[in-house]
Amino acid sequence: MSAEAVATSSAAAPATSRKNPAGIFLVVGIIGLAIGLGALVMGIQNNDSRLALSWLVGFTFWFSVLAGMLFLTQISYLFDAGWVVVVRRQMENCLAAFKWLWLLLIPVIALPLLMDNPGLVWRWMDLDAVVPGIHHTTVGNDVLYLHKAGLLNVPFLIGRLCIYALVTCGLAFLLRKNSFSSDLEINPKYYKNCRKISAVGIFLTAFTATFAVFDLLMSLSYHWFSTMYGVWFFALSMRLGIAATAVLCFHLSQQGRLKGLYNQSHAYFLGCLALAFTVFWAYISFSQYFLIYNANIPEETFWYNIRELNIDGSKSAWWYVSMGLIFGFFVIPFIALLWYPTKIKPWRFRTISCWIMFMGLIDIIFNVVPIQEPVDNILGFQVLPFLSPALLVDVAVVAGIGGICIWAALRSAAKQEPIPLHDPRVLESIHAAE
Amino acid sequence: MEHQPKALYCLLGTFTKTPEFFEAAGKVRDAGYKKWDTFTPFPVHGLDAQMGMKRSKVPMFTFCGGLFGFCLGTLITWYMNGWDYPLIVGGKPFWSPVFPFPVMYELTILNAAFGTLLGMFVMNMLPRHNHPLFNYPDFVRSNDDTFFIVIEKSDPKFNREATEAFLKEIGAEEIHAVEA
Amino acid sequence: MSHATAEVTLTPEEQKARSELIAKAKPVDIPRPILVTGGKDFHWVTEKICGIVEGKTPLWWWILFLTAACMATFTLFGLTWLVSTGVGVWGLANPVNWGWAIVNFVFWIGIGHAGTLISAILCLLRQKWRTSINRAAEAMTIFAVVCAGIFPLFHVGRVWFAWWLFPLPNSNWIWPQFRSPLEWDVFAVSTYGTVSVLFWYMGMIPDLANLRDRAKVLWRKLFYGLFAMGWRNSNRHWRNYEMAYLLLAGLSTPLVLSVHTIVSFDFAASNLPGWHTTIFPPYFVAGAIFSGFGMVLTLMLPLRAVYGLHNLITQYHIDCMCKIILATGSMVGYAYAMEFFIAWYGGNPYEGFAFINRAFGQYAWAYWIMISCNVISPQLFWFKWVRENTWLVWIICGFVNVGMWFERFVITVTSLANDYLPSSWGYYSPTIVDIFTFFGTFGLFSVLFLLFVRFLPLMPMGELKAVMPAADAHGHGSGTQGQGVPHHDSEGGHH
Repeated sequence: MSAEAVATSSAAAPATSRKNPAGIFLVVGIIGLAIGLGALVMGIQNNDSRLALSWLVGFTFWFSVLAGMLFLTQISYLFDAGWVVVVRRQMENCLAAFKWLWLLLIPVIALPLLMDNPGLVWRWMDLDAVVPGIHHTTVGNDVLYLHKAGLLNVPFLIGRLCIYALVTCGLAFLLRKNSFSSDLEINPKYYKNCRKISAVGIFLTAFTATFAVFDLLMSLSYHWFSTMYGVWFFALSMRLGIAATAVLCFHLSQQGRLKGLYNQSHAYFLGCLALAFTVFWAYISFSQYFLIYNANIPEETFWYNIRELNIDGSKSAWWYVSMGLIFGFFVIPFIALLWYPTKIKPWRFRTISCWIMFMGLIDIIFNVVPIQEPVDNILGFQVLPFLSPALLVDVAVVAGIGGICIWAALRSAAKQEPIPLHDPRVLESIHAAE
Repeated sequence: MEHQPKALYCLLGTFTKTPEFFEAAGKVRDAGYKKWDTFTPFPVHGLDAQMGMKRSKVPMFTFCGGLFGFCLGTLITWYMNGWDYPLIVGGKPFWSPVFPFPVMYELTILNAAFGTLLGMFVMNMLPRHNHPLFNYPDFVRSNDDTFFIVIEKSDPKFNREATEAFLKEIGAEEIHAVEA
Repeated sequence: MSHATAEVTLTPEEQKARSELIAKAKPVDIPRPILVTGGKDFHWVTEKICGIVEGKTPLWWWILFLTAACMATFTLFGLTWLVSTGVGVWGLANPVNWGWAIVNFVFWIGIGHAGTLISAILCLLRQKWRTSINRAAEAMTIFAVVCAGIFPLFHVGRVWFAWWLFPLPNSNWIWPQFRSPLEWDVFAVSTYGTVSVLFWYMGMIPDLANLRDRAKVLWRKLFYGLFAMGWRNSNRHWRNYEMAYLLLAGLSTPLVLSVHTIVSFDFAASNLPGWHTTIFPPYFVAGAIFSGFGMVLTLMLPLRAVYGLHNLITQYHIDCMCKIILATGSMVGYAYAMEFFIAWYGGNPYEGFAFINRAFGQYAWAYWIMISCNVISPQLFWFKWVRENTWLVWIICGFVNVGMWFERFVITVTSLANDYLPSSWGYYSPTIVDIFTFFGTFGLFSVLFLLFVRFLPLMPMGELKAVMPAADAHGHGSGTQGQGVPHHDSEGGHH
């Protein structure tokens, strides 16, 4: 719901008030963030992890979108693709949001630490917290934590996060700078620079995204581990990045600066990519589940068990969420995108892209929210439920961080040409045909 | 074939330049011919639309093949391991969609691929090892570097003289009558 | 194109703004590489490719063919020895019950994957440079699958019962057990082999028709004519053919992923340290593509030299393949890094030991061969002068082939040789039978490949012509992508 709401509002805005759409998004962003911040503080005071996790959900959603765009931008340079040029400029504008995004991670890291409830989101940050499922053991005495303490400690985490921010913002800066400079001067060096930056950057981005998601998501249940997790995030981010780009280009082509420039073929190619990464996401998610299911090792299976079973062994709401992901995040987009008209009919493609963004948010909630909390029952823990009022806070934070990101993107777009005028493939892109 | 009296099968115009040929194909379409075809050494991009043809129907065959394969895979794994000879292995259920998924998946692909190939042959009405056009002695040139536009005698608009003049007008370099 | 602004109508002002913007767009001149160099025409392509098949058999072909055939007899010898004696003649000793046979199986099946990648994935990505190499690469796929299939087939022990692997009713009325990864392999590999043959064959139909029509002698006319199925280049046929080709590419792409994924399941669905790790599926796929491209270059560079195909396999083609090797080699490096990291992060002492043991234990030599060949040597492809030195490229590709064999050796053997029970630890070595059997498969592969080179069209002529500048229907010589770039040095055509 939320993603769709954000997406449609981004549609409506330029049409209704042409004067200052960026300002509207800024206001939406600030309101959303205010709600999120209130919830975060309330969560910290009342020791309610769920309220605090909303912030992480919102951050992860937009981090996926932007990381996907960063990947896609670089991949398109590496392949020297022709059709993509018109679309790429829009992604480059969005990359301006990276620096704001990283700033917006600060509250969820800093506030619990400053307000004396360090283990609220990442339990390992609080050495005195009880480990869920193991009676009378605190994090500080947990062998598994002690094994990982060299990695999972606050100063090192903050250092790593700074590196991730530096890498992503740095690449975004370099790619944007070269692309925008090429508008002012006809010189092949800019395009060549971009290709070189991308060749190195794609590896940096891969490692950054992997470790960022290990640190922020996988360490929520720090006992659990999966080598595939980074690849899962890559798949997710590509899907969200492509979907967001498709929605953006659709609106720009209807009411904005891409009118008459973004054509059916661009949508078709984006649709093919969306289809490919739908399959790739399913492949990665399935393989991870499948291997853990088959090997049946308790150290790994618990992660899926808490997403499937209630204490009495019946199916929990999370199980229905996982089924929703299989059908809603794979089967429906797969069948829809397989069908040629979905890719080329602008409204259909926009709708399915919004749907992908919405389901992507559900996938993020599925990965973030079900964490264990220690309670006195036979298991020694309970799992945060899916259905809770905090879902509304999730929506608010997604809208909030999204508002800021879109504001940053629009601000960048206002200063730049709608298409890179002197890109070597720009005419190929304008006249792209299937 | 050799013993039967020969009758006109079609008129065939040749082209050696892609753009001229491409333009000419559009003119044949606009002239309203129905039973006509082009012969090219390679698939010319955009020619389908130029000839006024719709999207190919082969995907239907692929889809049916894939669906059949998926059902087949589901059925055999369920029947063999879940129904006819249930075995307990590895603490897994007798049948679940998870563990035999690779089998279901591979059978889907296999049958979809067979469906595709079959679809290509059926839609093209191949194999057909004999065809009147093979009587044209220089047919081999259509494999090499020459484009043909062929208008069949059975076309309602066909008229030996008028069609020949038409082919000449749209730029055919040589015009041959092919008999069968 | 007419559909350019579907469903959006532009007001005159907008139309004007659009035209002005497009008028301002002046692409900087970085020309697209030419795919068929030397200003050749369609006829030259036909003569060149058909000439290879129609010409007199060269002496070198006979020399290579006979040598390869002799090599292949080693496999025959090894297998005869095995079947007449028993699997004990291999170097397998508990707990190492998977030795060279599985290593060789994964090695060969991995080689095959580049063929499918080139024909399918690069087709979907519209990488037109694939046209010069896809036919040979697909042939390589099929022959590699043949070589791969031998090993598990004979590993079953009593090979005359191998048909029990298929879901056919037998006298005991017992069905295959679908929870076993090895059973998945049966389906994956047989599907892969079959679909690869279909794809390869369908791609060849127009070229077979060409050979049929050019044939001077009866047996050629019959042989090629039979398989050409009466193809006659009609555009009403091309339309269905192109669609079918695209669909087969679309089917082969998930297929090629699934095949090596399922091969990786052989290991990863177990719970042996070093085998059970969730990244195995994409990691194996990347490794397979990596090794396959190594093999493609190993085969194509000599062919290019022998047949003078420099206008068809240009420096640009070599560059592209080198870059793919670099990319996939680095992905494999990423996977090695993740495995090591999670082996530590997971905190399981057995898992941790398995990896320390790989790098510093009794098989450390194999591990470091793997790392240097797979991760380090491809990094040389960052440099243009390396990619332009054909000999160096060929040598590095040799390293890639060696490195990928060792990767499978490291995975299979190190995890088994030092398992949970230290009292049964040992050092696995192959016997002469293992070595003969494996050595001979190179002969078998070469025999099949040489027959292909001699009797079937080495490159898809239709597709090659379609990417030439003269193929552009609008006379710009630039095909699908650049109606606006009216120059001969831009890439042409569309597949």
